[in-house]
Amino acid sequence: MKEIIKITFALTISCVVAASAMGLTYTLTAKAKKHNHHMNVQNAMLDLLGYGEDNPAPSDLEFMRIYRYIIDEDGKKIMGYMVPVEKNGDVNYEMILLDLEYNFINKFDVPISPEEAQEVHDRAKALEQVFAPNQSFSYADAAVVAVAGGKRVGYVLPGQFPGFRTFIHALVAMDPSFELLGLEVMEHEEDAGLGAEIEEDYFKNQFVGVTYDKLKTLEVVKKPLPEEYKKYLEREQLKEGALTKEQIDEIRKKYKNADIYAITASTISSKAVTDGVKNVAKKFAYRINKLDDVLDKQNIEIAF
Amino acid sequence: MKGMNGLRRYHWMVGILLLALLLTGCKTGHEFIKGTEFKDDDKIVVVFAGPVEETWATNVSNFSAYEKPDPDIKLQITEATLGPDQTTLTVTFGAPLNQGEAHILTMTNIISEGQDMGSVTVTVQKLYFGVLMTVLLGAALIQNFVFTKYLGLCVFFGTSQRRDTAIGMGVVFTIVIVFAAMMAWALYQFVLKPYQLTFLNIVVFIGLVSLSVQGVDTILRKVNPTLFKAFGVYLVLVIANCIAIAVPLMLADNEYNGWESLMLALGAGVGFLLALFLMACVRERLELANVPPSFRGLPIAFVTAGLFALAFLGFSGLSIY
Amino acid sequence: MSTTTKSYGQLFMDGILKENPIFKLALSMCPAVGISTSVMNGILLGTAVLFVQVFSSCTISLVRNYIHPKIRIPTYTLTIATWVTVIDLVLAAYVPVAYKAMGMFVRLIVAFAIITMRLEMFACKEPLGKSFVDGVGMGLGFMVGMVTLGVVRELLGSGELLGYDILGFQPLLFFILPSAGFFVVGLMMGFFNWIEVKYNRRKEG
Repeated sequence: MKEIIKITFALTISCVVAASAMGLTYTLTAKAKKHNHHMNVQNAMLDLLGYGEDNPAPSDLEFMRIYRYIIDEDGKKIMGYMVPVEKNGDVNYEMILLDLEYNFINKFDVPISPEEAQEVHDRAKALEQVFAPNQSFSYADAAVVAVAGGKRVGYVLPGQFPGFRTFIHALVAMDPSFELLGLEVMEHEEDAGLGAEIEEDYFKNQFVGVTYDKLKTLEVVKKPLPEEYKKYLEREQLKEGALTKEQIDEIRKKYKNADIYAITASTISSKAVTDGVKNVAKKFAYRINKLDDVLDKQNIEIAF
Repeated sequence: MKGMNGLRRYHWMVGILLLALLLTGCKTGHEFIKGTEFKDDDKIVVVFAGPVEETWATNVSNFSAYEKPDPDIKLQITEATLGPDQTTLTVTFGAPLNQGEAHILTMTNIISEGQDMGSVTVTVQKLYFGVLMTVLLGAALIQNFVFTKYLGLCVFFGTSQRRDTAIGMGVVFTIVIVFAAMMAWALYQFVLKPYQLTFLNIVVFIGLVSLSVQGVDTILRKVNPTLFKAFGVYLVLVIANCIAIAVPLMLADNEYNGWESLMLALGAGVGFLLALFLMACVRERLELANVPPSFRGLPIAFVTAGLFALAFLGFSGLSIY
Repeated sequence: MSTTTKSYGQLFMDGILKENPIFKLALSMCPAVGISTSVMNGILLGTAVLFVQVFSSCTISLVRNYIHPKIRIPTYTLTIATWVTVIDLVLAAYVPVAYKAMGMFVRLIVAFAIITMRLEMFACKEPLGKSFVDGVGMGLGFMVGMVTLGVVRELLGSGELLGYDILGFQPLLFFILPSAGFFVVGLMMGFFNWIEVKYNRRKEG
């Protein structure tokens, strides 16, 4: 009997020590991890919108985030958009409730700062105080609107869609007319040398400049990538034989609304990314148009 | 192969499992609707229990549909036609459907034989059974844990020398991994995630694997001593098997639900058993072959595994549903 | 109360040559086959394993007199799991690029037989100093193995070394594919064996 007590005691002590060590490390590293992730996404967004060393971002460029929620009120589904609004020069969040036909129902303030709002758990806590007990909410997705000089510069949409292996997390950037500005793959588990090529310029950059009309019918073709198109897509990396400005413009015009050339031996990954981008872009464009209509009619001072 | 006879008695469990899985795919929700399914890449077919009015069926405004996660985006319906038997309705959409998602289709005021049957909302989705089978086959063949994910290799090379050791290890491993995975899923969903303790994943999962090994050890000793004598020695090796901790980590990362976790664990076990068995068959023959001295034993086994891995690459594009 | 008569130097070199975890002891082969696709990966995972091995060896060595014999294995497992979690969190926070490259393998370190075996055979019997050196030797041996494999596969597979284009073209994509891992490890093992046989023969005759 004493044996078992001694063993249990020893095991419990070891577990407690281990748990505290891990808990300590977690608290110390969690902040750094979040910060890293945040910087990564920020840099990717700036890059997508076309800002870089030779085209610095305007000093008043801000990223406004819209969070979409689906609320269930006694079986009825309601759309909830958490949008940043301007109030006396400050930016606060308001939850706008709309029915499925985008008719305005209600709106209320959400007591949370834009920094805190970037964390799912903090948002959930703030929203719990705002919703009624018979309203259960679930987070759907987010959209980032880049604003500079009081005007919209572009949209960046984080999306996740199934790839060949597991999910692919990507950022899709569009300009205010919903023309694609670019695609950046953030996370994926595709095979090296095959599906992982979706991170390469010669695939990603094919999405740059696709108009919204073409996007709706964008397909993947299993043909080899033309040599001149490849050079154009990878022009940032070219050391020798760089293209002249006329050549760049010419190739860009020629392939502006071409279909996507699949990666050799990775048609499934290429299709997955193309379909994913299509879905994310189409759904967002539909929603933001309707949302803008409602917000306009209600005279809500949105910060974007 | 005395162990295999003992296992035959558990066929009924497998039968019940399959039946349960089939049932999950058959719900329709309303007595008048016999079934729904996707057709081509832009159609939904609804089969009614009785004839419906042609004028009602061909009027597009009687229908509305959306993808389940996007209730606010109404899909555009271009046409609705009724089959000659008056019970099969085909709804055509303006754009190809994203068949990976469940679709909700609402039919208002169905008119059948002069009577208004009311409005019905049905969920159209690929048979869930299909999704589960995809996970199972994925884990067993397409993403075989040994040949495609290179996990569990130490144990793999250690126990694949003879066919009975291979089968023994494979079976024991499958049992333990199913237990461990189900417990891991439960703990993850109900304890670790809600309380933001996910950094304890690794420790908790390895603890669960040890617990499962201990549990299976004790149960097997009492319930079936003969089975224990045949397979018991492999139990300890399960802990050193990378797959045992990879499976819980995967189901946590991908947020699988209960059924999918079960399929993943089963697939991993079956895949491992398959890999072991294939390897053992080859190695038994290699022992009698004329292998150069430096390569005898492990080196040639590795090269063989490489060939198998190449062969398994052939499964990459496999998709059934 | 050390039971081994080896000196520090011997312990260290043994870990790298005579008892190299990958090529001689044939342990921890999952990562050897799976992510030895580039030299960088090898260095990164090697460092992670080194860290876990050294810290686990030291921890167990420090408490070796208090471990109840019946709960030896759970204690080792708990120690290893704790250190793996620590390095997992630290890497994810401070070196996210490297962390992404290693994928799931960092968390799988907990199942590496090599570490548990080292604790069982050495750290629980030997004092801190010797355990530390043994841990370093083993960890480095693992890293050497991974880097060697990485050099072969990266050079022959993508024509690069550490990301720098050496050959200017891709000889055989095959080498960075998973299955090649098996081939290369098998061939290198055979090679090591052959060298050892030749060396022994020369010593005798």
